[in-house]
Amino acid sequence: MLSVQNVAKRLPDGRPLLKDISFEAKKGEFIGILGESGVGKTVLLRCINGLTAPDSGDVVINGGDTVVKVNGKRGQELRVIQQRIGMIFQGSMLVKRLSVLENVLTGRLGRISTIRSLLYGFTEDEMTVALEQLERVGIKNLAHRRAETLSGGEMQRVAIARALFQEPYLLLADEPVANLDPKNTEIVLDYLKPLAKEVAIVGVFHAPELVSKYCTRAIGIRDGVVCYDGSPFISPSKLEDIYGTERAVCTTSVA
Amino acid sequence: MKTHFKALARFRKALLPVFGLSLLLIGASAVVRLDLMDLVRGLPRGLALLRHMVPPEWSAMPRMVGPAIETVQIAFVGTGFGIVLAFVFSLLAASNVNANRALRELARGIMSAERALPDLIVILLFVAIVGLGPFPAVMALSVSAIGMLGKLFADAFEEVDPRSLEALAAVGASKMQVIQYALIPQVMPSLIANSLFRFEVNIRLSIFLGVVGAGGIGSELIMATRLLNYRTALSAIIVILVLVMVCERISDALKKAVIGHEVLQ
Repeated sequence: MLSVQNVAKRLPDGRPLLKDISFEAKKGEFIGILGESGVGKTVLLRCINGLTAPDSGDVVINGGDTVVKVNGKRGQELRVIQQRIGMIFQGSMLVKRLSVLENVLTGRLGRISTIRSLLYGFTEDEMTVALEQLERVGIKNLAHRRAETLSGGEMQRVAIARALFQEPYLLLADEPVANLDPKNTEIVLDYLKPLAKEVAIVGVFHAPELVSKYCTRAIGIRDGVVCYDGSPFISPSKLEDIYGTERAVCTTSVA
Repeated sequence: MKTHFKALARFRKALLPVFGLSLLLIGASAVVRLDLMDLVRGLPRGLALLRHMVPPEWSAMPRMVGPAIETVQIAFVGTGFGIVLAFVFSLLAASNVNANRALRELARGIMSAERALPDLIVILLFVAIVGLGPFPAVMALSVSAIGMLGKLFADAFEEVDPRSLEALAAVGASKMQVIQYALIPQVMPSLIANSLFRFEVNIRLSIFLGVVGAGGIGSELIMATRLLNYRTALSAIIVILVLVMVCERISDALKKAVIGHEVLQ
């Protein structure tokens, strides 16, 4: 469903950040990307959904009936592809003064006509589907609350519902639980995990423990290349490959 | 001991600027021929004027209602068009809306130039171009909103969390949609509060516009003084006082209804 081929990206100052990243993700997979801070995990996700253009390499998305290359597209052409890529950001990034339901509805802005968009013309059907998505993440009762009144965990669930409402070919999650307490981390990931049955999920995580617990596969990035690709249960020596010595010692002693 | 000396040092440091400023003030007073005795000598004349003014001509009140409404209309329409103009300019001037740097600088430049011109000068310019009457008054009020209101709007846009805008761009929303669905909702309270404040400013300007000939209650006031009808003039002043106070109350109530209520939620 997703194929990342030899993606490379330099920092604005010219230093190479991602040198050569390749991997594939299929339906049923929940991939957890690990790596030190600043290694370029977020940039990789942004390259995948077209918010950032890679310097070289290809990102190909296969939605069953359609196969499209994300990179090299701009404007309307890019927006059509982005419409089918769900993205969950760190700290959820909702429009805080809109209601929960309205936030979910914005997931389809890339698809509706300009006239409908100008008139806020969402159909009954779309409302129903949006409410169903909220029900899937267990917060249908909050549909008419203003987004800014929600807790961090609830906001992240709205973000999941918004992404699902896009009917995505692919779900990306950039540190989706970074700002959450352990309980909410568990709730959010428990809702996210089963979605992998319908759509490939690629998430960036800061904690290997979470990847072991929720993901089906782990990818480690170091020095701009994939240094680990395999089981989410990563051996201490492999963790050392990903993070370098100090961090590996620290995480293994916790685990 | 040490702190004592420090305090003294600070005092000594302040001494020179204070002395300098005082000198400047005294010098400036001499230049503008500030003479308190003028005020004292003028007192009897002022009192005489006041005696001519009271009691106000109550019978003139009914025919002041029409002009008072006209003043409000000028302020209202002027504010309306002003909001539209300011909105357009602010969109052009906000860096998170308009990526074209040259166009942005141009919009900022026009706004700052307009701001540099006092409102009254803008008004006199329009009187010179279009002549007297309600139309130039409305034009003047609209244009003089560009500088201040436009800048406030643009600053509000730029304060919006960029990540909430990017989240919408990420679902494939167009620039227009990002503005409509993410930017505007988040700046709405600030847009409303600033617009209502502009309306209060415009009520005062609209009264002044009447004095220079745009019609409305200001015209009544200046006419009465020219005809030496000081009691009628006092009536107009009373109407103006009531008008400004009522408008401010209404504006405050609207602000509370729209924004205060949200803060409480």
